[in-house]
Amino acid sequence: MSAPITHLLDGETVTAVAGEVWSALVGEEEYLVPGYGLDGPPVAGPSAWVTVTGPWNGLVVLTCDQAGTADLTRSVLQMRADEEATEEDVDDVLRELANILGGNVKSLLPGPSVLGLPETGAAPLRASDEDTCRVAASWRGHHLAITIQGATEAPVFTTEVPL
Amino acid sequence: MRALVIDDSRAMRRIVASILEGFGYETRPAGHGREALDVLEEGWVPDLACIDWNMPVMDGLQFVSAVRAVPAWRSVTLMMVTTESEHGQIVKALAAGAHEYVIKPFTADAIGDKLALLGLLPTEVPA
Amino acid sequence: MTTALATPGFDWVCQLVRRESAIVLAPGKEYLVEARLMPLARQLGLSGVSELVERCRARPDPATNRRIVEALTTNETSWFRDGDPFTALTSTVMPALQAARRPTDPIAIWSAACSSGQEAYTIGMLLADSMPGAASRVRITATDLSRDMVARTRAGRFSQLEVNRGLPAPMLVRHFSRVGTEWEIAPALRQMVTASELNLAGPLPRLGPFDVVYLRNVLIYFDPPTKREVLRKVRQVMRPDGWLFLGAAETTLGVDDSWERVPCGRGSAYRPTKGK
Repeated sequence: MSAPITHLLDGETVTAVAGEVWSALVGEEEYLVPGYGLDGPPVAGPSAWVTVTGPWNGLVVLTCDQAGTADLTRSVLQMRADEEATEEDVDDVLRELANILGGNVKSLLPGPSVLGLPETGAAPLRASDEDTCRVAASWRGHHLAITIQGATEAPVFTTEVPL
Repeated sequence: MRALVIDDSRAMRRIVASILEGFGYETRPAGHGREALDVLEEGWVPDLACIDWNMPVMDGLQFVSAVRAVPAWRSVTLMMVTTESEHGQIVKALAAGAHEYVIKPFTADAIGDKLALLGLLPTEVPA
Repeated sequence: MTTALATPGFDWVCQLVRRESAIVLAPGKEYLVEARLMPLARQLGLSGVSELVERCRARPDPATNRRIVEALTTNETSWFRDGDPFTALTSTVMPALQAARRPTDPIAIWSAACSSGQEAYTIGMLLADSMPGAASRVRITATDLSRDMVARTRAGRFSQLEVNRGLPAPMLVRHFSRVGTEWEIAPALRQMVTASELNLAGPLPRLGPFDVVYLRNVLIYFDPPTKREVLRKVRQVMRPDGWLFLGAAETTLGVDDSWERVPCGRGSAYRPTKGK
């Protein structure tokens, strides 16, 4: 059993990791503008997450507002103007972004830890505030949240707006 | 030059394949290690395999060990392309027989730099 | 949320960067400016990039201007950038130097535009891996115009994106350890490298004499008289049997005739001609 996530990671580190993911994957000219604060507005849209199992147990969750997911998918897949992102494309891109964020977050936690395979759906119920590190950010005006939350679902709610 | 792109994410297969095709490679996709072994067994032996670590059915590390156990596949250069980024994980992959290691997220230039190091950048393709 | 950067502020930043570095930021790069300058704004206790730009316009401050330019003009450099000058070091240059020197003579190498240190540490790792006793015998001097770059070289810490750029995985695991989100070079390697600020266009401080100089992708930024002057100064701090590596697109030919181009590995190097 390790310390809660707020003792292991801070929002600025998560923001830095996410910034690298964005510039590499979403596009060289694409920047994630950090909100710098854990109390950003709730994000209304789908989530993707991976589990981290080890001394610290929990989830790394990415939530993107509904309108932003299609844009995000088109950018990551470098789609032409006439190409449409399918639902499957959107799911796949969100899952892979969660996977990459999760792997990079895992490397900052006490090890050895194992990363699960990514899943998508409505934002999972989250842990107590002490075991939750949430970063709100915006990209091309769309709202995003990256939430690293312990596995214990103490308060039964999500910060994000469910689908 | 031929490359096998092994990743359970379609998005990632598309990104890696398009980078390699930009360098003049012919590519084939596989969604996990077992599917990739099927491609090799069918006789399509590539110069390079780009391998994700965490995948269903057969993961990247198991795939690397399986390829290294077959002498006929010794010419395949094995490059992990994965979000696993602890020092110990890289050591483990190299010990299993991977030649190179790219950490996700990466840029197209990062793949190009690695291919240059490995002598796998086709010279006839203008940079 | 802070206010987004408005057009006049963005234009001011573009003009500053162009004036100081000759680099042109295309319209539509507002997001780049926001993302790269946000950490600087936060460090200065400001709420956002607009506030940073407003403050600099109201109260011009060269130090802050310089940091803005540096934040917007740094690029990733790769480790074995144009690999030939590095393979030539171990295949040709070191054997020649070892034959010409006594076994205890120090070997001095200069990385003359070190950026964040990749070139200096690449040299260090190659020699540490191929030459017994390299850690005590080899001295690498790394210099750069930019104070930030010199500090980064000294720290020897690199982001994940940076270690992804052409650093062979076996070298990464042998010579680096993870520190948070970054990778840190081993203390033995860091001790081989001494970093300091230096403007190649100005008078050189006491330096050298060097056995090998890497002066790559620097001359391209100077006009012909300055190129000649820089090459003359470099020659003065090199040993007569030293080796100079330039960038792939650079040459001494037609600039300064006191160098001889010699084949070296798969590329070429320059050596001082006898006499002067």
